[in-house]
Amino acid sequence: MTQAANSVITDEMRAAIGVEGPSTVMEVEKTNCRMFARSVGHTDPIFYDEAAAKARGYRGIVAPPGFLGTPIFRPGGAGVVPGEMGGRNFSVPYKRILNGGTDYEYFPDPPDGDVICAGDTITARTKISGFEEATGSLGPMLITTRETAYTNQHGKVVAKMYGTLIQY
Amino acid sequence: MRAQFGVESAPWTYEVTTTSVRMYARGIGSEDPIHYDVDFAKSQGFRSVVAPLGYLGTPVYLPGQNDPTFGFPRRGGGPRLDIPFKRLLDGGTETEYLDVICAGDVLVETSHLADLKLRDGAMGKMLFITNESVYTNKETGKVVAKQRLTSIHY
Amino acid sequence: MGQVYFEDLGEGDEIPQLKKNCSTQQLVLWAAGSGDFYQIHYDKDFAQATGLKGLIVHGALKNAFLGQLLHDWIGEKGQIRRFGCSYRGMDEPNQDILCRGVVKRKYSEGGKHFVELDVWTEKPDGKKTSPGTAVVTLPSKN
Repeated sequence: MTQAANSVITDEMRAAIGVEGPSTVMEVEKTNCRMFARSVGHTDPIFYDEAAAKARGYRGIVAPPGFLGTPIFRPGGAGVVPGEMGGRNFSVPYKRILNGGTDYEYFPDPPDGDVICAGDTITARTKISGFEEATGSLGPMLITTRETAYTNQHGKVVAKMYGTLIQY
Repeated sequence: MRAQFGVESAPWTYEVTTTSVRMYARGIGSEDPIHYDVDFAKSQGFRSVVAPLGYLGTPVYLPGQNDPTFGFPRRGGGPRLDIPFKRLLDGGTETEYLDVICAGDVLVETSHLADLKLRDGAMGKMLFITNESVYTNKETGKVVAKQRLTSIHY
Repeated sequence: MGQVYFEDLGEGDEIPQLKKNCSTQQLVLWAAGSGDFYQIHYDKDFAQATGLKGLIVHGALKNAFLGQLLHDWIGEKGQIRRFGCSYRGMDEPNQDILCRGVVKRKYSEGGKHFVELDVWTEKPDGKKTSPGTAVVTLPSKN
């Protein structure tokens, strides 16, 4: 693969592609499902009312779209949500950083997947999917894509989050 | 208004979860692992992480049934007061504990009007309303806490 | 809204719009709901000190709005498979944010019926602030 002479992608960075980082445990509970749903403005009772969720065939209150649990908070520790701005950081000559966007993918079908519900404990692991360089209106930039896999307490991959980070 | 004293409200469920205990502890700036680390809390003889003092669970929030700003449940029963003042301040809270509250607990709360006082203050006439709430552990049936909340309307 | 079915849609169809308008209070609720307490979303002095004109709406909240747009449309029998957006333009509190979606492609595979959409949030002047895509499955009438 040829690379421009002024590329900022190092061998160390290339070696990190596809390597899973440490895991983060996220808890999905009734109180945080409701808080997320309430803050977005959802009206569907399956995000708030356990009886309503079970009547629709779910195991419990359903995690709203975009909600993948709350990481266990430890005072003095990093409280960063995995995947978004988390993962390994490399030294690059760009000072500014932008969150380029996030995609969520869900795997709700049994037996390999499930709908995320209150009571679930999710383990998140992030890996870098790739690096890209481009020049645009912001000047030269490094685009890093990351993939976070969310596995529930039964070992099922229930969701993946794809994040794009732009450094320029 | 005085006739409303002691009129019991309908019950409401308050839930204590690991995430909500941690959030409250984080909010007050506590670093005590008893509020964050389940294994540590159990090693100290508790069922799970311990609710910080002042935290009596989060009321179940159902859109349209809870006040969207303060979160308290609008519910049947309880005192009906026509308050002629528009402004509101928190007058203080007193909590009496009868047991330790831990994550995993589900509490049932009812409240009633305990006191009313009308006073003249620097900002004009002020109405002090004190409500007393009783929290019962749903599983054991035991009263775990009582809380007196005073609001100042002026 | 009644249940929407795979057969009800054609390419180019727009799904029912969702209009949002965040109060500063909602931005605080979102901080609690998401765990993102970055002050540019609720502390005006802080936001201005970073060079912003004022408070801005979290990109992730707009993404969650698109989640609601899809959830409310697909009905009880639909499922969201994938959704997301790029955080391009900034939105402020107390201003309408319109969430919209248009069907791009529909196909059946493995017994399931997929619909791909372009989704986005836009400002009152029509400027798109969070362009994105989504994939849902819908029930079939057959």
